Amino acid sequence: MRIYWRELKANIKSLLIYIGVVAFFVVVGFQKFEGYAENPEILEVLDAMPAALIESFNMNAFNLTTVEGFFGVMYAFIALILGIAAVMWGSDIISKEERDKTVEFALTLPVKRSTLVTAKTAAALTHCLLLALATWGLNAANAAVYDPGPDFYRFLFQGMGALVLLQVVYLTVGILIGSALRQHKRAGSVAISVLLGTYFFSVIAGLKKEWEFLEYFTPFAYFDPALILRESRVEPVYLWISAGVVLVCLAGAYLAYSRRDLYI
Amino acid sequence: MNIFLHEFKSYLKSVAIWSGANFLIILVYFSAFTTIALEAAQMEAMMNSFPEEMLIAFGMNDMNFGSLLGWFAVVFLFCQICLAIQASNYGIALLSIEERELTADFLLPKPVSRVKIITAKLLAAFLALTITNLVVWASAFIVINLNRDGREFDVQALAMILSTIVLFQLFFLSVGTLISLLMKRVRSVIPLSMALSFGMYILSIFGSMLGEDKLEIISPFRHFDPNYIIANGSYDLPLVMISLAVIVIAIPASYVLYNRRNITAAV
Repeated sequence: MRIYWRELKANIKSLLIYIGVVAFFVVVGFQKFEGYAENPEILEVLDAMPAALIESFNMNAFNLTTVEGFFGVMYAFIALILGIAAVMWGSDIISKEERDKTVEFALTLPVKRSTLVTAKTAAALTHCLLLALATWGLNAANAAVYDPGPDFYRFLFQGMGALVLLQVVYLTVGILIGSALRQHKRAGSVAISVLLGTYFFSVIAGLKKEWEFLEYFTPFAYFDPALILRESRVEPVYLWISAGVVLVCLAGAYLAYSRRDLYI
Repeated sequence: MNIFLHEFKSYLKSVAIWSGANFLIILVYFSAFTTIALEAAQMEAMMNSFPEEMLIAFGMNDMNFGSLLGWFAVVFLFCQICLAIQASNYGIALLSIEERELTADFLLPKPVSRVKIITAKLLAAFLALTITNLVVWASAFIVINLNRDGREFDVQALAMILSTIVLFQLFFLSVGTLISLLMKRVRSVIPLSMALSFGMYILSIFGSMLGEDKLEIISPFRHFDPNYIIANGSYDLPLVMISLAVIVIAIPASYVLYNRRNITAAV
């Protein structure tokens, strides 16, 4: 429990920075939305753009003149920011001990290595939840001006729920990277490569029919905002894949960390 | 010279990975070009029916995905992201790595001035970035020629777009170096470099997708917008000057800061 609180405090600065980044984009985004609200001409322009391009920016399927549609487009950016935060926190929270040369101290404490991993995972998870909560609040507050209906709040709630799942997937991937990678220095860059690689997959998958299978490899495609908006659900197959990835990563992390040969 | 060679060697693997990534991006995107070109032809007819002012307001007057170069402009953006991350990684790690790994204790007692150290390091990083730059040049020309199916494209405009890479890389390298020197201690490089490069990217794409220029003007992704170059056959000089000015300020400032820096030592 002490490790949990300590990690929670140690990471608070990073959490605040990410909240600041999200706040910045939400505020700027909603300022731009002013130009779109109730302006049908935009729709004609968007309709004329090639489908592949729209797809690659995740702009399809949304009516940009409504708050719901606008949040649907912002969703991709928010997912990217929250995904980066999760994978960075995950990979950093375990590997930083070796980097900062505090691992000798942490592991001489009378706790098992698995307890350490649990406490750290819980702390990072708490931060992810707080970040998602802040994002939710910021969006709701900024949208309130346009007096959206209950549909928007439902979409926002479910969309943020999906983003929490996305964060959990990336968090556990990050934790696995942080605890399994021999070279602790590379943990951050490997985690970011994974994130960028999957992001590119999600962009490329929309370009060509034959590449659609790539969606299975990228959490960014799992939680399709269009489907959440229209039918308030996500494809069950993606939920199963996410659950599988989370379980495998966590199991791998515990196993790898309990056997880890530490750099001292 | 020793420092330069040592530094340059340590970049080799990373340069290979980043160059490979850039090559793959160009290759993969251009294999989708034929599909895009078909759709774009239909789109163009639609676009002509819109009032010009409106297209300008959304920055869509310059876009033309049906042409080889128009599509390259889209692809180039993704290359820019990679180049930006690479350059800011190098910049932020450049001097901070010595303190983080406690090798500054070894490096600084050597009979070389700090000016020489930072010069050698900057040059090595710049050479490494230039190799990636050349790979992007080569991949662009090769891949476009393989996929052009007899279409013509403006070689000069392509060369102009690719020439912007040098300044683009220097921007992130120098700003990264400056940021690392402004901080007391850089614990890890990636979060900072991601904030710098991805922040700039999201800033610019946010602007181009959702309306007018405001803050986006500080983003180099804006300064070297390939669509502008294709449409006008020239650079957007006032914006390029912003980048240039930032580089010209950041590099000397880094020298001054490093000369005065209080180095964290092991003991």
